[in-house]
Amino acid sequence: MDPSSSGIQEPFDLIRLSLSERVFVKLRGDRQLTGILHAYDGHMNLILSDVEETIMIVDVDDENVTAGSKTVNVAKRKMDMLFVRGDGVILVSPPSRT
Amino acid sequence: MEDDNSPPPPPEQQPPPPPSHTGSPTDFLKGVVGKRVIVRLTSGVDYRGILSCLDGYMNIALEQTEEHVNGAVTNRYGDAFIRGNNVLYISADEPL
Repeated sequence: MDPSSSGIQEPFDLIRLSLSERVFVKLRGDRQLTGILHAYDGHMNLILSDVEETIMIVDVDDENVTAGSKTVNVAKRKMDMLFVRGDGVILVSPPSRT
Repeated sequence: MEDDNSPPPPPEQQPPPPPSHTGSPTDFLKGVVGKRVIVRLTSGVDYRGILSCLDGYMNIALEQTEEHVNGAVTNRYGDAFIRGNNVLYISADEPL
C-alpha cells in the first residue's frame, strides 16, 4: 500500500508511534482520558499513567424541559495508573501534534 | 398556452455523473486512502479528515481531523485513530 505522508501503513502504527507520549482517548459514555501511553494490544486495551479522566454529565433542566435547555457538568478525576478495556475506546489521538 | 418562442427542451440533458467507480467495497477503500473522507460513527459524530490508512477491522487513521457534532466543529486532531467497531460509514469528501 502506498505509504502516506506520515509514513503510517496501518492504523496501529499511529498508536505505536504514540508510546510513551501523552495521548487523548475518547471513550464511550461521554468520557475522555489523557495520559501517558505505556502499552496497548490489538483490542486497543490500553495502559495509561498519570491519567486525567473527564466525564461529561448532561442534565436536562427539569424546569425547562420543553425549551430543551441542558446543563453540562464536567467531572474530573485523576489516576496514577489505568487499564482501559479496548471495547470502550472510540478514538485515540496524540494531542501534542494538533 | 402555446408559445412559439418557448425554448425547445435541450437536445441532450446533461448526462448524470457516471459512476466514477465500479468495483468491490475494498476497491473503494483502496481508492479513498490519501483522500479527504467523512467518517460517521454509529453515535452520529462525524470525523472529517484525510484518510491515512485503515485495516480489516475498519480501524482508521485520519490526519487533519475535525470532529463534527450536529454540524459544528467540536474538536480538531492532528492525527486520530478510530476504533473500527464504532464506524457506520466512510464517505469520500472529494472526487475519486
